[in-house]
Amino acid sequence: SFSPQSLLQAYAKFSGAPLTVNTINNSWRAPKGDVPVLISEDIVISQPAKILNFLRKQKYNADYELSAKQGADTLAYIALLEEKLLPALLHTFWVEAENYCSVTKPWFASRIPFPLSLYLPGKMSREALNRILLTRGGPPLCSLTEVEAQIYRDAKECLNLLSKRLGTSQFFFGDTPTTLDAFVFGFLAPIYKVCFPRVQLQEHLKQLPNLCRFCDDILTCYFRLTVSGHSPAGQDTADANLQKLTQLVNKESNLIEKMDDNLRKSPQHPPRKLTTLKLAAGGEQSSPLNRLSP
Amino acid sequence: AAEPWPENAALYQQLKEEQILLSDNASSLAVQAFLQMCNLPIRVVCRANAEYMSPSGKVPFIHVGNQVVSELGPIVQFVKAKGHSLSDGLDEVQKAEMKAYMELVNNMLLTAELYLQWCDDVTVEEITHPRYGSPYPWPLNRILSYQKQWEVRRKMKAIGWAGKTLEQVLEDVDQCCQALSQRLGTQPYFFNKQPTELDALVFGHLFTILTTQLTTDELSEKVKNYSNLTAFCRRIEQQYFEGHDKDSSATVAARSAKRSLLR
Repeated sequence: SFSPQSLLQAYAKFSGAPLTVNTINNSWRAPKGDVPVLISEDIVISQPAKILNFLRKQKYNADYELSAKQGADTLAYIALLEEKLLPALLHTFWVEAENYCSVTKPWFASRIPFPLSLYLPGKMSREALNRILLTRGGPPLCSLTEVEAQIYRDAKECLNLLSKRLGTSQFFFGDTPTTLDAFVFGFLAPIYKVCFPRVQLQEHLKQLPNLCRFCDDILTCYFRLTVSGHSPAGQDTADANLQKLTQLVNKESNLIEKMDDNLRKSPQHPPRKLTTLKLAAGGEQSSPLNRLSP
Repeated sequence: AAEPWPENAALYQQLKEEQILLSDNASSLAVQAFLQMCNLPIRVVCRANAEYMSPSGKVPFIHVGNQVVSELGPIVQFVKAKGHSLSDGLDEVQKAEMKAYMELVNNMLLTAELYLQWCDDVTVEEITHPRYGSPYPWPLNRILSYQKQWEVRRKMKAIGWAGKTLEQVLEDVDQCCQALSQRLGTQPYFFNKQPTELDALVFGHLFTILTTQLTTDELSEKVKNYSNLTAFCRRIEQQYFEGHDKDSSATVAARSAKRSLLR
C-alpha cells in the first residue's frame, strides 16, 4: 500500500503477531534492496504483500471474525481507496512541488545512502506523476491542474464516504480491527500526521471528526509503545513520530495489488499468539544470528 | 423539475459484429442496462470511429439533445440531473457501499478484461488485432491497434498489472466474483428489491464475459462458478432486454452480444 510499514505494523498489532520493529537506514544492505523486510528464523521476506501472507499463514489473521459479506466489503472498500484516494495521496507526497521539496525528498533522502538518495526520490516522483496521468489524466481533462482538481475532488469524496461508512463505530466492522482498518489507517495516517506546506487533504480530513478519532485511537492503542520506545537515540519525540509515519514513502502503490493478491489467498484461521517475529524496517543480511528464541 | 428525455437519444459504440472488444462491449451493455432500468429509451448506433467521437476517448457515449456524455459514471450524473435516479432510495452508508463495489468492478473486472485483450499474446493475435482495426484498410488497421496496445500496456505497467501472469489475473477475477456473489447473496438485486447502477454495471460485465467466446473458456468459467451471479444476469436480461418490443434496439443488442465475438 502507500504506507506499507504503517499498514503492516497496524495489521500485525491487530492480529496479535508480536513484531519488533527495527529501524535501519541502509537500503543497500536489504537483501534485495527492498524495505521493509521480515526476518523470521531463517526466512527472509521482503515485500509487504508477502509479509502479510506470511503472517496469515502463521495464523495471525485479523479477519477471522468477519462474515463472507464483510470480507467482500473489505475488498470493495480497498478498491475504492486505491482508485479514489491513492492518486491524491501520491500527488500530495510526490508531485506537489512545495511538499515534495520541503518534506518528502529531504526525509526520504536522509534515510537512504548517498548515491541512491540523489536518484531514487526523483524516480519515485516521476513514477507517481506518470501513474496519476495514465490512470486519471485522459480527455476531457487536458491540463495537469484540471487533473489535480479532479483527483482532490475524488479524494475528498472518498474521505466523506469512509466517514459515513465508519459512523460512530470504533472500527469498520465493530469493535475489533481488521484488514480494512489496517488499510484505511495506512492511507489516512500519513495525511493526518505529516506536516506539509500544502495541506488541503489534511484540512478536509480534520473536518471529519470520526476519521480523526479512528486514527488517534489506533495510534494511541497500538503504537503508543513503539512511538516512544523505538525512536532513534538523539531525536525528539516529534521527530520520531514524523519518522515513523514518513518511512512509508519508499514504495509505490503497486504494493496494493500484491497485498490484495495475498489477502485473497489467505487461509482463514483464528488468531493466535506465537513466537516473536522480527520485522526489520530496512534490511539486514539474513543469517542464523537473526533467529530469535520463541 | 425533470426535463423531458428526447425521442432521438442515441448511444454510440463500435461495430457490434466485427469490431467491438470485450471491455467496450461490457461498458456499453452496462450503460444500456442502466438506461433501461431508468425506463429511458435509447437507440444504439454503431460507428467504427465511436472511440474518436467520444469526448473522453472511451465508449460508450450518449447523445441526448445537444449534449454528449461518455462513460457510466458521468452518464449516471447526467441522468440524475435530468431527474431520474436509481439510487435515491439508498441511505448514506448504502451509497458508500455501492460506490465501493462499483470501484471494485472497475478496478478488477474491467482491468482484467483489458489485460486479457491487450496483454495476453494469444488473445491479442487471434482476436484483438483482427477486430480492433477491422473497419480500416491496411496498414492503418495494424498501426491503430498497435498504438492502442502500447497505450494500454503503459497503463498496466503504471498500476502494476504488467507483471501479472494470466493465472494471477484469473485469480483476481475469481476473487472479485466471489465478493460480488457473497454481497448479492440470495437477493434479486444488490440492494434488495430495486436495481441500481451497480446492478447495471455488474450485469454489463458479467453478461459480456459469459456470452463472449474467447480463445479459452477460463474467464467465463470463473463467473459460472457462482450460480447466483448467472441467475442474476439471466434475471436482468429477461426483465430489461427481452420483455420489451422485439424490435427494440436493446433486445437486438442483447441478442447479438449472445453471439460469438470471435471472428
